Amino acid sequence: MRVTVFDYGAGNLHSLTKALALVAGAHVCVQEDARRALDTDVLVLPGVGAFGAAAARLEPGRERMRRALDDGLPCLGICLGMQLLFEQSEEGPGAGLGYFRGRVTRLAARQVPQMGWNTVRDAPSVEAAGLRHVYYANSYACRASEPSEVVGWTTHEGDTFPASVRRGRVLGVQFHPEKSSLAGVNFLRTTLAEWGS
Amino acid sequence: MLARRLIVCLDVKDGRVVKGVRFEGLRDMGDPVSLARRYEAEGADEVTFLDISATEESRATLWALVQRTAERLFIPLTVGGGVRTVEDAGRALRAGADKVCLNSAAVANPAVLTACAERFGSQAVVASIDAKREAHGWRVYTHGGRRRTDWDAVAWARECVRRGAGEVLLTSVDRDGLRQGYDVALTRAVSSSVDVPVIASGGAGSGEHVRDALREGGADAALVAGILHEGVTTVSALKATLRDNGIEIRSQG
Repeated sequence: MRVTVFDYGAGNLHSLTKALALVAGAHVCVQEDARRALDTDVLVLPGVGAFGAAAARLEPGRERMRRALDDGLPCLGICLGMQLLFEQSEEGPGAGLGYFRGRVTRLAARQVPQMGWNTVRDAPSVEAAGLRHVYYANSYACRASEPSEVVGWTTHEGDTFPASVRRGRVLGVQFHPEKSSLAGVNFLRTTLAEWGS
Repeated sequence: MLARRLIVCLDVKDGRVVKGVRFEGLRDMGDPVSLARRYEAEGADEVTFLDISATEESRATLWALVQRTAERLFIPLTVGGGVRTVEDAGRALRAGADKVCLNSAAVANPAVLTACAERFGSQAVVASIDAKREAHGWRVYTHGGRRRTDWDAVAWARECVRRGAGEVLLTSVDRDGLRQGYDVALTRAVSSSVDVPVIASGGAGSGEHVRDALREGGADAALVAGILHEGVTTVSALKATLRDNGIEIRSQG
């Protein structure tokens, strides 16, 4: 199974690529070109950087990537990568993939960014991986227009937002599985195994 | 709700973990990569490397060490000590660190905090503050606790946050290594003055000390080092004490 991490130039992908490489049968590569990144079995949108810069890097391949997802390419978006699956963000200019409807807005909380271990509620797939607390480092959150696409919620101070969204074989998680210790790695393993079978 | 965090700190010198008392009298404690992984397995929420070597050569060793660690560690990793400029921060993050911590370099040139935050985001920038109690309040010290500055610790913490720091690592120079408890009053003074997480550091001797720093001190996280490295207690024993006291903390697995 080829697993391709789309690198929008924001840096540190070491833990993510190593965590993905722990999945049996996964051949992990990193691709900086949005169009070439689509020649894969699973696409991963990583979670480091800022929305505006990432959207700019995505732009040349945005429509093609969106079509690939519509046609069934499995995709995992992590943190900023999840936000790129939505339409737009308050954080910066440019368009996301718009696969999920809704905007990305700043957390309504005293402490922003949210940094640390928080829970995921109402998420069977996350709980099955043994994850109760997962690691978040986010200043923005996805306000999904379709509640049925939200498959896990979390709350920071008074702000409740999606921890995870899913439609078809496209999954977005606001937390970092690759920083959520062994249970996080286990979550990546289960998710990819499901797509690989 | 965010859980409180227990962060294990490894003081690193020339690629080895060392521990001293009040920043002096260093002893070798082992290999950083295997220690970091052991603490992750025991339930540590984060690992921090503070490089206390002084030379340029040792910093090349540090980046290599960060990379080896990041490839095997699946919890957040913070690196400080060898990070003085935006370029250093970029090197540390590219090597695989999630956050960098700036101390003396930020006091000498506060603009470096802003530059790092603009480039890498506030979530990647930790202001590390060493504070010593004085007749009125607490004074910021730099250079491993040896050099007195003009800054009051609370004022400096606020300034760091204003300039872009996303967290404050607050070390009591008076308490460091003594195992008689964190400086709870200092922790409270800073945590009630800034809107970012404060990590209490310096003086952990028991689970009750950690509890006091989190509950009375209002810290979001507590840094622990020597008592773990020397086997006085374990991460899971510390967390059990916190849980017994009704503090929300992550369970392993």
